[in-house]
Amino acid sequence: MAIDSLVLGAGQEVGKSCVVVTINGKRIMFDCGMHMGHLDHQRYPDFSLFLNLNPTRTSITPSLASSSPTCTKRKQKPTLIFHLDHVGALPYFTEVCGYRGPIYMTYPTKALAPIMLEDYRKVMVERRGEEEQFSSDHIAECMKKVIPVDLKQTVQVDKDLQIRAYYAGHVLGAAMFYAKVGDAAMVYTGDYNMTPDRHLGAAQIERLNLDLLISESTYGTTIRDSKYAREREFLRAVHKCVAGGGKVLIPTFALGRAQELCILLEDYWERMNLEVPIYFSAGLTLQANMYYKMLISWTSQKVKETYSTRNAFDFKNAHKFDRSMIDAPGPCVLFATPGMISGGFSLEVFKHWAPSEMNLVTLPGYCVAGTIGHKLMSGKPTKIDLDKDTQIDVRCQIHHLSFSPHTDAKGIMDLIKFLSPKNVILVHGEKPKMATLKEKYSPNWEFNVMTLQTMRLSQFLQPTM
Amino acid sequence: MEDHVFLTCDHPLNLPTISINEPLSLEALASLRSLIINPSTPAPTISSVIETLTRSLQLSRDPLAIHHTLKLLTDMALRRPHLSGVVFDSVCSHSLLSTDSTRIAAESLDALASIAEGSRVLAPGIEELDDRLFASLCFSPSRSVRPWLLRNAERFGVQPHLLFSLFLGFTKDPYPYVRKVALDGLVGLSKNGVIEDPDMIEGCYFRAVELLNDMEDCVRSAAVRTVCAWGLMLVACKSEAKAYWSDEVFVKLCSTVRDMSMEVRVEAFCALGKIEMVSEEILLQTLSKKVIVTKKGNKSLAQCSDEQLETSGSSVAGAFMHGLEDEFHEVRKAACHSLRTLTILSAKFAGEALNLLMDVLNDDSILVRLQAFETMHRMATFDCLTVQETHMHMFLGTLVDNDTLIRSSARKILKLAKLQKLKLVRLTIDALLENLEKHPQDEADVLSVLFHIGRNHGKFVVHIIEENFPQMEPMSNGKLGFDSVRVAALLVLAISAPLSHERDCNIPPTIFSYAVTYLGRISQALSDVMNQNSLLEYLSQCSRSSGPYAIEFNFKVGEPCLPNANVPTYTSNEIIGSIAMPLPQKTGGTSEILSPTINKPREAGTSLVEYQLEVHDEVTKSMNVILAKVKDIWPLVLSGFTNEVLRTLRSCRKELATFTSDSHASAGVFSFTKQYIQIVKLLTKAWVNFLSSTHFPCGMGELDLVLGKLDRRLRDLKSAFIRLSEEEELHILELILVTCMLRLSKVEICCHLGTLRKLSSMMSQVEYLLRDGSVEPSGFIIEVGKLSSEFGSSSLNEASFNPLLIRRVLESFSLRQLVLCGRLKHIKAELDIPDNEYENPLWFVAGLPVGIPCHITLHNISAESRLWLKMTVNEDNESTQFVLLDLNHFGGCDDVRIFMFTAPFYKTPKAFSFTIRVCICMECLSEVEDVSSVKRWGPRHELTYLCREKDVYLSMVK
Repeated sequence: MAIDSLVLGAGQEVGKSCVVVTINGKRIMFDCGMHMGHLDHQRYPDFSLFLNLNPTRTSITPSLASSSPTCTKRKQKPTLIFHLDHVGALPYFTEVCGYRGPIYMTYPTKALAPIMLEDYRKVMVERRGEEEQFSSDHIAECMKKVIPVDLKQTVQVDKDLQIRAYYAGHVLGAAMFYAKVGDAAMVYTGDYNMTPDRHLGAAQIERLNLDLLISESTYGTTIRDSKYAREREFLRAVHKCVAGGGKVLIPTFALGRAQELCILLEDYWERMNLEVPIYFSAGLTLQANMYYKMLISWTSQKVKETYSTRNAFDFKNAHKFDRSMIDAPGPCVLFATPGMISGGFSLEVFKHWAPSEMNLVTLPGYCVAGTIGHKLMSGKPTKIDLDKDTQIDVRCQIHHLSFSPHTDAKGIMDLIKFLSPKNVILVHGEKPKMATLKEKYSPNWEFNVMTLQTMRLSQFLQPTM
Repeated sequence: MEDHVFLTCDHPLNLPTISINEPLSLEALASLRSLIINPSTPAPTISSVIETLTRSLQLSRDPLAIHHTLKLLTDMALRRPHLSGVVFDSVCSHSLLSTDSTRIAAESLDALASIAEGSRVLAPGIEELDDRLFASLCFSPSRSVRPWLLRNAERFGVQPHLLFSLFLGFTKDPYPYVRKVALDGLVGLSKNGVIEDPDMIEGCYFRAVELLNDMEDCVRSAAVRTVCAWGLMLVACKSEAKAYWSDEVFVKLCSTVRDMSMEVRVEAFCALGKIEMVSEEILLQTLSKKVIVTKKGNKSLAQCSDEQLETSGSSVAGAFMHGLEDEFHEVRKAACHSLRTLTILSAKFAGEALNLLMDVLNDDSILVRLQAFETMHRMATFDCLTVQETHMHMFLGTLVDNDTLIRSSARKILKLAKLQKLKLVRLTIDALLENLEKHPQDEADVLSVLFHIGRNHGKFVVHIIEENFPQMEPMSNGKLGFDSVRVAALLVLAISAPLSHERDCNIPPTIFSYAVTYLGRISQALSDVMNQNSLLEYLSQCSRSSGPYAIEFNFKVGEPCLPNANVPTYTSNEIIGSIAMPLPQKTGGTSEILSPTINKPREAGTSLVEYQLEVHDEVTKSMNVILAKVKDIWPLVLSGFTNEVLRTLRSCRKELATFTSDSHASAGVFSFTKQYIQIVKLLTKAWVNFLSSTHFPCGMGELDLVLGKLDRRLRDLKSAFIRLSEEEELHILELILVTCMLRLSKVEICCHLGTLRKLSSMMSQVEYLLRDGSVEPSGFIIEVGKLSSEFGSSSLNEASFNPLLIRRVLESFSLRQLVLCGRLKHIKAELDIPDNEYENPLWFVAGLPVGIPCHITLHNISAESRLWLKMTVNEDNESTQFVLLDLNHFGGCDDVRIFMFTAPFYKTPKAFSFTIRVCICMECLSEVEDVSSVKRWGPRHELTYLCREKDVYLSMVK
């Protein structure tokens, strides 16, 4: 009995996740992502390596999860581009390289993936004028081949191969995949989160008899403290600001953070009897909230339990924001895209609100260098030069609220401890962090931990089986 | 009589299909069953039935038939206890116990056990059964019987040591459910304490620890329970290394809090709360995800190697942090709960745990938030609650929360809290004042909290009063701002300061005179501390002396009722309980603090005092305390904790039973409360059905019954009391509306038309009450109003309404607090038929009317009410006869009327003797006219029964 593992991408980095595993002769590819940092051939996993193996039967199982949202470079409109490092290369692989086997995805992934891919294609082709890697038709054709699976649904791919999806938290539709052929079994986690949010639950899996676990390790060395403290500080800052008559600007992306923070605020508003309006900039609510409402079974316990009386994503206090209301008097809270104030509506609002000391801007935990968000985070500036004619006086208060849907080191260890697999491969993380995690904990564990360079074939032979 | 004869003669013919040499068919068994459950089946038939069944048991080979036969025999024994010995012997002597079918053997064991449980004489019989039989059955290959046997092992009186080894052995069973049951069995064994041998305990403990890593969720959660139960035993028996073993168990349990199964995590936290001794390092480690357990200087873990220490550190790390931010509220609640016991163990741990607990106040589930408060309250009673400045925003924010329960829980803690800095006290008082402004209904409680804060922080309060003194001074026109709640609050704070332990509290004496003007308000708020008279004494005494106070205040009357922060055994509930009890006896005891020097101010206040006493007589007050408790249970009902709710209600009823109210005035309030609690109980039962199907709903028929009862009780409550205040009446109407809506919400219950008619009539009464705006309708009433106007427009049509809509309206209902004003009176009647017993009947001639002499006493019934004497023979509607009691013909006043009345009964039957059930009813004129029951002679509306039914015995003249 043997499991071969070939890491085509994200072996010791973040981006273009792709692992090909051969279990007792059956070949499965987990994830088929693209790297956002490269513009040349390196953006895709090297499929030739895989195709050269001359597969007899191959299945592909992208387990959707999101990378850190560094990939957004768009200037306008909300954007749904994250997760591309897990599904970005799929149309290329099926339509251009000619893969013909079955493809499995969870239902939400199947719903969201084409939107993200199309969005990405437009950015690349129509704005940057690059050569098209795959067309809209390719995306549509590719999605037709996808077989959706539900959580804990055991799918018998062929007479030997069995796969099953488990809830992974992280983002709507993220799943861990279990695969079994004969007496050998393994789990590929994709991105996952071990602590629950308000709108998504924590990863959940059964105790399984595993030979191999392939786990992400984005935050391999971080141990986060309680999210409660962060929430408390956030609520306190917002409450203080609106009580003093100020306006709060919360720049966010469409999916995830916006819903999370809005649920938090709604709950607080309800309890404290606050009447200050909460606004969403146009476009933000429409599509994203609709997906959450439809895919309610993929959210957290609280949302699931209460949705029969009130859907948590039907925000009661939230209203649509109109451009004309920017200078309206009185306190308010506004969610606007994009998240790093790199342009678009959040920048426009920022220009108006930043000069008043009463107002507050809540920044996400991470901002790309060069964006206004980044400037605000790295030391509080008093003046920001937007372009050579425009200068913004920044007198408002700044608050940071980091919100990461990835598990921390403790979560990785907890999962490994719970599953007790015979071998662990760490992927989807930076090399030094993965090395630290391995050094620090593997002496106490009774199994092998390894990190693999991209494109290196490794083989485990189980001695007694 | 005739039936009897028929059965006796007929019994051999009654079982014609049964031939002696063949086993019974299922049809025959069914007909035997009807004989068994019929209480009037004669004894000879029964004994022949037993005979037949026993024979069939020997002959039959069909497992289904044997199963039913055994069931019938068990039923027989339970229904006819005198036969249980015979049945027991026949099942016992029968060869079933040695049959080769395990299932049948198990079923006969079950039958034997059930019979033995029903009769005390046979209890030793089951013990005499051979343990070997049980053991061999357990090892038989039938895997479905095995868990059943293990689960029921206790019923068969198997010797505990044998059970122990069986359970322990079966924890290795390949079937997970058997492993789970075996573990549960071990938990059961640990409770009766038969196993005392340390090695056995250790063995069992380590076996359970192994199973903490089982593949199946149900086994792991059972293993957690077992580890806890046997771990505690292990700790108890290891006298020399208690600390070590206690830590060991704690660490093992902690390692399961990151399990992926919610049930396991809940079990883990419940178990953690049971550990009574843990070293501080480990406790602190549970609050930090980073491993901080140091390698040296830890005595309790000195026996471990460094490596072990680190693994234990990493399995403990952040246990509570994870628990408190778990996805599932069940887990978060359990984690909060277990902190109750653990925070007492170490002050440092308590301090750090409080940081987390304060953040839990931001949780999205109200149950979790309440549990967090409960934990803090307990910490406060044990004096380990140290509130920091960083906590204040979160904690004081809850004082303006939308939810009453949350606010009151927060205040409950403030009563006990000890604040270290002036700034904190100032923040707290500001927050309380804000609470008062936003939610004026909390006044009494807020004032009481201020009083306690003042007592606990005398010096700080003096500062604050100095700052705020100008606000409390009379306005320029020389009048106090009487309506200002804020002034009242500051006054309460001021007058409490001299009662603190710091004696040099310098409060300007004028303040005490100002406080006298608020006497009624203040004394109502402080009713748990002192009564009005002693408060007045105290105020006048203070206002005469210009501090610093040399006077020793003697609060003998008030003191015993003070919830003393230093007494650790007090829990919140006990305090409330103790307040409710002594009230009625307290009135007379004020003389102790009277002093001749302070007569004048007392006289000045007398009229006020009397007025207050009149309105809030003590019984009403105590009833209101109980009613407040009843209101508090509603969130529990909503979350489905029906059993807890029913228990609370039972305890309320018990508490109520301790009052013996002689006074005529308070009797009404008393019986009103009693009936009200009964109604809440029924409402709770009905509500269970309304909740989702995860709770165990009773059958539809039962719901119908409950709703019927509820209807009747509410009708009684509404019509059997007069002088209800508008609030009280509205409250009852609201409950009636809820009942109507509950009926409508179930599609299965028919006759919606009648309910709709009732609904609209109730709504019009509600609208009448609300016409002048003196009472506020609840959200629920408003919703129902909207709904019923919709019904009205679309004409009463059964198809026109939507059950979902009704459900949504029902969800807006929440039980409000009913505050009794104490004016209400109970309408009741006593009925007596003198000189009539079974042996001494009235005589009658068949076909001729007979007069029934009734001795009637009526309480609080006005002459206008339509009173009927209802006479029933045989529960038969046709033979029911009503006689109108025209009260204008009898003397007496509305309060009490006593008179004799001879009621004519016309339809005397042709019988030797018969019984009439007589009772007095009142027509509910406000109710809908009951068209279905309109008769020529009789009431046209629904009836309320004013007394119990009385049997009148009649016999034909010979």
